[in-house]
Amino acid sequence: MNELVIEKPLPTADGDSQAFWEGLRSGRLLLQHCADCGHVQYYQQRICRQCQSDNLQLKPASGKGTIHSYSVVYRAPGPAFKDDVPYAVLLVDLEEGPRMVSSLVGKDFDALDFDAPLTLKIIQINDVVSLPCFELAINELHSS
Amino acid sequence: MRNSRSLRGQVAIVGVGQSPSGRVPGRSPLDLTADATLKALADANMNKNAIDGVLTGNAFASSFHRFSIALSEYLNIQPSYSNTLQVSGATAGAAVNTAAAAIHAGLAETVLVACGDSLLTGMTPDMAIRAMTESRDQQYEMPFGIPVANTFAMTAHRHMKEYGTTAEQFAQVAVTFREHARRTPGAQKTEPITIDDVLHSKMVTTPYHKLDCSLISDGAVALILTSAEKAKEYTQHPVYILGGGEYYSHEHIFLMPTLTQTGAVESSKKAYQMAGITANDIDVAGIYDCFTGTVIMMLEDLGFCKKGEGGAFVESGEITYGGKIPTNTHGGMLSYAHPGIPAAWFHFAEVVRQLRGACGERQVAGAELGLVHTLGAGFSTQASTVLGTENTL
Repeated sequence: MNELVIEKPLPTADGDSQAFWEGLRSGRLLLQHCADCGHVQYYQQRICRQCQSDNLQLKPASGKGTIHSYSVVYRAPGPAFKDDVPYAVLLVDLEEGPRMVSSLVGKDFDALDFDAPLTLKIIQINDVVSLPCFELAINELHSS
Repeated sequence: MRNSRSLRGQVAIVGVGQSPSGRVPGRSPLDLTADATLKALADANMNKNAIDGVLTGNAFASSFHRFSIALSEYLNIQPSYSNTLQVSGATAGAAVNTAAAAIHAGLAETVLVACGDSLLTGMTPDMAIRAMTESRDQQYEMPFGIPVANTFAMTAHRHMKEYGTTAEQFAQVAVTFREHARRTPGAQKTEPITIDDVLHSKMVTTPYHKLDCSLISDGAVALILTSAEKAKEYTQHPVYILGGGEYYSHEHIFLMPTLTQTGAVESSKKAYQMAGITANDIDVAGIYDCFTGTVIMMLEDLGFCKKGEGGAFVESGEITYGGKIPTNTHGGMLSYAHPGIPAAWFHFAEVVRQLRGACGERQVAGAELGLVHTLGAGFSTQASTVLGTENTL
């Protein structure tokens, strides 16, 4: 098995997503706000998915969200994730409206529940890539 | 309802063939698909030169980018109409619908609709899983370790939350299809299982255990479609396309409009309208069963029961013999075979055989109207096809 096969898939920014990944590197999860219709969207593209305007403004998300659904992964999707299992993948409803895929920081699976509050935690993977992950908001209370 | 733009009764499936399936080592995807094609030709008493159209899906274990073209060369066919379609698990239904449309429109007269892959022995299990996972977005999904299985898992999980669907009800789908597979020659898994067996099998991705998940297999199926006018030249039992409908609601799982209701509502509505029927009229169904919960959600969205009642519907025996809609009588992807994209071609093969009355001890008595519903990519892609015997025209 060659090395390509066991490397984790990491995002490669394109023209649509350059600012998004740069934003994460500087610690911000950027959402696109349409100045014409007010639609807030995740992920990034040149035009608003609701009204097709290109009058989009980037604004950092508050980092607050809730769990819409989740799954705890025990069977790794390929060798690259074998060391990570079990881990939880999340569908996060952001305070601003958009929904996104993310993963849970830590392994407190018993505390996972629908509608549970989450807090953004940006994880640096390497010099180029930082991923927007989430932790349970209750954990933050405990640690503060 | 019946207008010049309807497919109703215009095209028929006249040949069905399949390669050995399950564990079939040492045979390439092209070999398996050609094998299935030769059997479909024999089934239709047809010379290969009658085929002027070829539609396929792609094979993960094959390096060819244009599988339909490579297959044509392998068989020494030079079609005037060809394409390799890619709408994930819905490719089977989309290919049958598209072939029927092409025939109706005069682009081709007789179309081979085939697909084969060797996910089980042509690749390592990890490679097979990875092939599936690569179909997710590399920027906004895969970096979080979310292959397609987890997208389906999260929809099922939300269904449990919203409607009280239980793990036992999911498990019943696997148990029922295993019972069906026991009657089907060539099924990959035939040992009986219980709800407890499913619940105690290894957790894969909550709420799905190993036995809630479809198999990994080798295998190929070929269907041959031709115009209704020509159909009787090849078989006494043409199975007619009565309606087709598709729907493509999203790419990313986080943009699925609602996690617990899918585009199968729209695709089936269109297919039923074209066929001039309702779900209540259907005698036998082939429903894409990548996971147990997928079937429960589809029974609701295809109109066999109300939203939220899929679990109870399955639990009360409605998807087996004597129930409201005997489903996946061959055993489905959960027990018969799941070679990837070709998997749903087996649903077509089974429903065609049911409508021919050729299923022996697993025959659904008096089956005249059948539905095949295929889907894929976290419910992104949906294709419904209504099939019927000559009596239904």
